Amino acid sequence: MIAENTQTQMRKGILEYCVLLIISRGEIYASDIIAELKSAKLLVVEGTLYPLLTRLKNNGLLSYNWVESTSGPPRKYYMLTPDGTSMLSQLDGTWQELSFAISKSKNRTKS
Amino acid sequence: MKRTLNINIGNSIIHIEEDAYELLTAYLVEVKQHFGKSADDFEIVSDIENRIAEMFAEMLEAQQKQVIELADVHVVIELMGSVKDFESGAEEEADTADHTAAYALFGGGKIYRDTDDAMIAGVCSGLSYYLKMDVSIIRVIAVLSVLLGGSGLIAYLILWVSIPKARTRSEKMSMRGETVNLQGFKRNFEEELTNLKDNFRTATDEMRPIVKRSGSFIAEFIEVLGVFMQGAGKTIFKFIAIVIIVVGSLMLVGALISVAALLGLWDSGASGVFPLNIVDKSYFTTFVIAALVVVTVPLLALILSSITVAFNSKTVNRTFSYAMLLIWLCGLSVGIFYVAKITNEFREEAEFVQNIPVRTLPLYKLNLDKSRFFSKEDSLRYQLNSAEYIGRVIQNDDRGPMNMPRNVSVRIEKSEGNAASLTQAYSAKGINFETALYHAKNIRYDFKQRDSVLMFSPELHLMKNASWRDQEIELVLKVPVGARLKIDRNLDRYIQGFSLWNCGDDHSRDEVFEGVMTVDGLKCKYDLDVNE
Repeated sequence: MIAENTQTQMRKGILEYCVLLIISRGEIYASDIIAELKSAKLLVVEGTLYPLLTRLKNNGLLSYNWVESTSGPPRKYYMLTPDGTSMLSQLDGTWQELSFAISKSKNRTKS
Repeated sequence: MKRTLNINIGNSIIHIEEDAYELLTAYLVEVKQHFGKSADDFEIVSDIENRIAEMFAEMLEAQQKQVIELADVHVVIELMGSVKDFESGAEEEADTADHTAAYALFGGGKIYRDTDDAMIAGVCSGLSYYLKMDVSIIRVIAVLSVLLGGSGLIAYLILWVSIPKARTRSEKMSMRGETVNLQGFKRNFEEELTNLKDNFRTATDEMRPIVKRSGSFIAEFIEVLGVFMQGAGKTIFKFIAIVIIVVGSLMLVGALISVAALLGLWDSGASGVFPLNIVDKSYFTTFVIAALVVVTVPLLALILSSITVAFNSKTVNRTFSYAMLLIWLCGLSVGIFYVAKITNEFREEAEFVQNIPVRTLPLYKLNLDKSRFFSKEDSLRYQLNSAEYIGRVIQNDDRGPMNMPRNVSVRIEKSEGNAASLTQAYSAKGINFETALYHAKNIRYDFKQRDSVLMFSPELHLMKNASWRDQEIELVLKVPVGARLKIDRNLDRYIQGFSLWNCGDDHSRDEVFEGVMTVDGLKCKYDLDVNE
């Protein structure tokens, strides 16, 4: 139970970081984000992505355009706002620190 | 052949089979309920619906068919995830979802107990965030309400049970009325850091802003109380808690023993004593158990919560608390039902009158008969055999709290003719006239006449196992005009409409009142002599 909880906590933060990373490469449709996350084996069910996207959008990190689709109704295409970009660079820094911390911790136990 | 429906989902028209439609509807309702708690529910749900529509479109195209079937909906739900998956995959929604009951209580706002800043369980400091008032003021009000009649104690315990503790960071933030988002989290971290520094300062420093704000006597009082609470307060609360545990446990044991006595585990005869003999024997047991539940459950709750305070251990879980509350309410409703039933049994009144001939004499002595009344059962119990036993057992005159309300009254009036008479009017109450009369007939009263001496017993007696139904006896003694009366002054409290002490003689401290029956009623002999 405790292990599960820690895993969820780690996943949560990293999921957010990955979503921002994926979107930072250019305008992208929600289904494509899902496909990428699935191939990275980070997302289990699609339903959890929509609340996350909505929250990031409400925090001013994301925005979206409606784009006409060839088949079916128009689609939301997400992109980063300037706030989102600066947030992402902060997260990049944090990730560097974290991976440094982890590699450091692992190496110490070995030596 | 199956029936199909046309649905509009995410602005696309889809043909769907009936069973598939039902499953899909159930799923979407569940999703809506789950996200309905957050502000962005509409957007999230419409995103999900759009995605489902798209999946359906892909499926129809890939499989070259016209209609969505049950299996397709299953696949879609599996991909999208069930509500349970959303909760564990979890944004903040998962944390708050468990506690809808608590904030439904106050119409949409969020209230939590703040255990970081708690004196007992953090109810006051939780309330202070909710009501946007200073926590010290609420604590002072709480302490005062406990001191004034203890109503605050009950309110505190109820709030303790019903308000959830703020456990996660997001709960603590929504308790303080901050928006739960990333910026909020960041601010929250910074605040915690500064709080950590603040904690090293003294208590007086913490209280200083309050003094500045109001600068009045009340603020000074709060300051003193605040310092006191932070220092000695916790120890005193623990001491009080331990006292409550000890006293409460003794009361609990006492309650159980008295219930055992009442239910006749041994021959205590308690159920025949006044306030208890109001309850009819047929439902005495049920009533006593209901009363036991009503009394002991809050007592138990008090003890358990005191244990929590004294030993910093969590002894009660929420399910147990709710179960106890439920049991208490059951006990209360049973109790109220019987109280109403008993009240109903006092609805009708019946009276029957009996005439007793009294010899006509020039002088009567009226005495209070203090010899104890013995029923047949009593005589057996005390081994009083009428053949061997000579003499009287004198009853203790004390009228303790367990006695029945005064139920004997005597009137002394003049008789119309020359003959004396005594009328005994027995009255009682009951659910209808018939039972009332039955109760009245079951009254036993001891009146004796020995020559000129009339002996009145101070109380009436009920048959064994009879219930108290406001049984009363009124004795009317009629004596002819000119008859002299010597009345024991102890009878004064039983005599209606005349006071034996209302007599101007010098010997008013005498045991015996002397009077004469005149045309205008009973008169004090001394007053008559003086007037002549």
